[in-house]
Amino acid sequence: MAVADQNARLISRPPLLKRIWGSLSVLFASKIAVVGLVLVLFWVLVAIFAPLLTPYTPTEQDYKAQNSPPSAAHILGTDDLGRDLWSRLIYGARVVLVMLPINENFWLPIGTAIWGVLLSLIAGSTLGLIGGYLGGWRDETVMRLLDAMMAFPVILLYMIIIAAVGASATNVVLAIAIVGTPGIARLVRSLTLDIRTRDYVRAAEVRGENPFYIMFFEILPNARGPIIIDAMLRVGYAIFAMGTLGFLGLGLPPPSPDWGSMVAAGRRYILAGSPWAALWPSLAIASLVVGLNLLADGLREESTRYQ
Amino acid sequence: MAKFILRRLILMLLTMFIVSVAVFAITTAAPGNVARNVLGIQITPEQEASFLAQNGLDKPLVERYISWLLGTDWRASAQVGLTVRQITTEDGFTEWWAVAEDGLLTRWELVGEDLISRKLQPDGSLIEQKDNERWQIKDAQSEFTRLQANKVEVQNDPQLNEADRQAILKPLDQILDILQNAGNKDQATLLAELTGPESALRELRDEDAARQKQDFENAGSELASKNPLLQAIVVSHRLNSAEEFKQSDMQFMAGQLSRAAVKLRPVDPATADQIQKAYDSLKANDDESARAALEIATPTLVHLTGNLGALADGLQNGDYILATKVLNDLSDPAITPFDEAQMTVLPDILQSAGGALQESNSELGDAMIQAVASLEAGQLEEARNSLTDAAEVISAVGQVISRTDAAGRSLVGRSFWGIDLQNHAVRWETGTGKDVWVFIQGTGWKAYSGGPVEYIPLQKGLLRGDPGVSLRTGRPVADLLYIRLRNSLVLAGLAFVIVMPLALVLGVLAGLNEGKTSDRLLSIGGMMFSVTPEFATGIFLILIFAFWLDLVPGATVFGEKAPWSRPDMLILPVMTLTLIELGYVLRITRASMVEVMKAPYIRTAFLKGLPYRRIVLKHAIRNALMAPITIIMLHVNWLLGGIVVVEVIFGYPGLGSYLLESALFKDYNAIVAGSMVLVMVAVSTQLLADIIYTFINPRIRYS
Repeated sequence: MAVADQNARLISRPPLLKRIWGSLSVLFASKIAVVGLVLVLFWVLVAIFAPLLTPYTPTEQDYKAQNSPPSAAHILGTDDLGRDLWSRLIYGARVVLVMLPINENFWLPIGTAIWGVLLSLIAGSTLGLIGGYLGGWRDETVMRLLDAMMAFPVILLYMIIIAAVGASATNVVLAIAIVGTPGIARLVRSLTLDIRTRDYVRAAEVRGENPFYIMFFEILPNARGPIIIDAMLRVGYAIFAMGTLGFLGLGLPPPSPDWGSMVAAGRRYILAGSPWAALWPSLAIASLVVGLNLLADGLREESTRYQ
Repeated sequence: MAKFILRRLILMLLTMFIVSVAVFAITTAAPGNVARNVLGIQITPEQEASFLAQNGLDKPLVERYISWLLGTDWRASAQVGLTVRQITTEDGFTEWWAVAEDGLLTRWELVGEDLISRKLQPDGSLIEQKDNERWQIKDAQSEFTRLQANKVEVQNDPQLNEADRQAILKPLDQILDILQNAGNKDQATLLAELTGPESALRELRDEDAARQKQDFENAGSELASKNPLLQAIVVSHRLNSAEEFKQSDMQFMAGQLSRAAVKLRPVDPATADQIQKAYDSLKANDDESARAALEIATPTLVHLTGNLGALADGLQNGDYILATKVLNDLSDPAITPFDEAQMTVLPDILQSAGGALQESNSELGDAMIQAVASLEAGQLEEARNSLTDAAEVISAVGQVISRTDAAGRSLVGRSFWGIDLQNHAVRWETGTGKDVWVFIQGTGWKAYSGGPVEYIPLQKGLLRGDPGVSLRTGRPVADLLYIRLRNSLVLAGLAFVIVMPLALVLGVLAGLNEGKTSDRLLSIGGMMFSVTPEFATGIFLILIFAFWLDLVPGATVFGEKAPWSRPDMLILPVMTLTLIELGYVLRITRASMVEVMKAPYIRTAFLKGLPYRRIVLKHAIRNALMAPITIIMLHVNWLLGGIVVVEVIFGYPGLGSYLLESALFKDYNAIVAGSMVLVMVAVSTQLLADIIYTFINPRIRYS
């Protein structure tokens, strides 16, 4: 019923539909963006419908078929424990894109990578707004802290955080959020420094508004454009980071299907003659990240073409 | 200009300081247990505490940070009262020694009751001699209080026989007298006065007995942990204690029960059922019903095992009266009938008990094994005789052990600050009456009665170039760090030398052909390589070049050798890094080139009619390369991540894989030192980028 309502609203407001179509047509104008969109959509759909696309669960072991090459029973082959690679691959996509497992029985919608970016958006925007709008010693403190964080090699930050708090989906989200925060904070701060000189901010100050109201309701909404574009790119980084963490043994704990740890496990059997367990997840993560970047690149190119 | 650089340098130092505090705080305050990682999960809490103390990990965070930064040798010097100095041996180990009054390097060791000094002679030889004059009497007042309590204990100790009791009490009274009147007497006088009664006490001690006590304890715990039925009794006792159980505890106890039920099934199905029930309850985290079920099973278990669980307890806790009673009960037909059920279980346990005890006391072990042999031959009477013999042996040995113990406890406690053989400043104490577990690298665990009670691990501190000792290997972190850093620099340097010219040339070409097919191919290809995770790129390259084409090795194995001794193994790691960086630098160069080609001064040059080649080479490239060079410097942070992953993929022994291993192991000193090196590299390249940029960009220089 809610869906029907929404549809009714959409139909009664053609301008919105038109606007959506307008932005989509920009997308379709770029061949690169379409290729990217297809790749990303493929993984999103496969992730959402994962249980319907495979007869196996990702942890089901077949002792008779270990490290087997692609066959009719296992279309992409099996790993060293005889688990179906296709099923692990698509359930792995679920963890990245559509669900965040908190514990055995409970999970949140929206993928692990996206939660990480969302949290870093919240923390980064707050710090950036405080630094940029309030200025003075607060700005100095925030910037020094961020400088110190930026001085950390990203990989080291990941390693130390995960080594400190232990490997789990929640902690991966936390690590991605912490690592992403300084970049967003710097962006938001520079935007804030620009926007705070605008007349509507002056007007709000003259009205005697609370500084936090000005920061979050006057400045932030007007800085949303660049922030959203930045966040989209960061989802790509976050997936990249999840893969790397998994590969280094700092990602989701086994037996959850995680692309990075699948590669790390499969890598040992390459020279023993069964490359499949390492090949497929590598291809999967490469195609998803490349897809996201193609999409962003194409969009940026098209949207700046007429400026 | 100088002012700018100075300001940046100061900021860099500030950043390094914040970073060091942050890394230190995060890694050390983190949960997890380095002691377990080093020593295995089987260690006891006492052993864990000893390990943490030896490595200074039990101190508050601030103190540890100061030690790590500024070293501990100055603090140790103040405690020992002698200068402490670090030397490097011929084998490359670093050792700490104290400089004694005669100018010789000295370390100490506690052997039994004796303090042995080891002096390094100028010719390199070692002279060992007793150095007991260095012992200082601990605070006379507190020793008096302790010994008074001890006197009451000796008076009431049921394990001592009357003659021994009197023999101990007499010198003990004299000692108490001396201590009470200690007043302001100096150490030398006090020590002289104590000589008489203390040597009387020492004569009552038996070195063999002290060793045997330890052996008995080991045998007791071995017996209790090996047999499933005895373990079930232990679990029952534990459930009856007032302990709070965590889920992991209950799962652990369930594991201990699992074998008991199986073992008991053919002998006594009803009791086996009860144990099974307890097992199920524990699995379901219900300790109440498990306790109830075991309460029903325990009397049968005790009967079947001939109460040998109590023997294990007695041996473990030094209660030899209990141990004697168990053996006497076994030889009493009224208590232990050796019925059919008992005969299926008891001989086995008795056999393993005998085996465990044989090493510490052959007479005792032999008697028990003899009893088993007689039991199996059906000669009950002979078996009972053997068991009575065993009981007598244990009772006699128990008395000697108790006498040794009591006499040892009655000595006045001494203490001494010195340098031990494992690079700690140590406070040794005697007369604490407690065992101290000491882990010695390469040797294992040793228990000392009276021994080291406080440690200061010796190090010079980071600011003086010593990042400490690796907990994982026991070797100085700096040595290994240097080799690993060198290897990583070889890898990164090779990749850099290949990437830079290639990427700049391709980037310029793509920028000049903006929008054409060659540009599209280069920039999209470059983007794909730069956004693909390093591990995926590495796997693709291994599959293509090492697996399918079989051209180069797919992993790196150098052992002790330097990486350049096997250049073929470097090909794939360098190629992976090159591909990742290539795309990034190429795209930056391209963008910069495109921008420059649209600049008014280029148009002017075209309008002047200059040849195309001259415009590109003389006017465009110089300006176009300014941005990439500095941006690449800023990209080093990202590159470091790539290096870590590449090192892990190919098993390359570089800094990155060292850091990862250390982080997974929680080897604090190694993580912190390695992180500081990485951060230093990152921060200094950023500084360099700023300075270069200021030099080559006239607009900044003149503003």
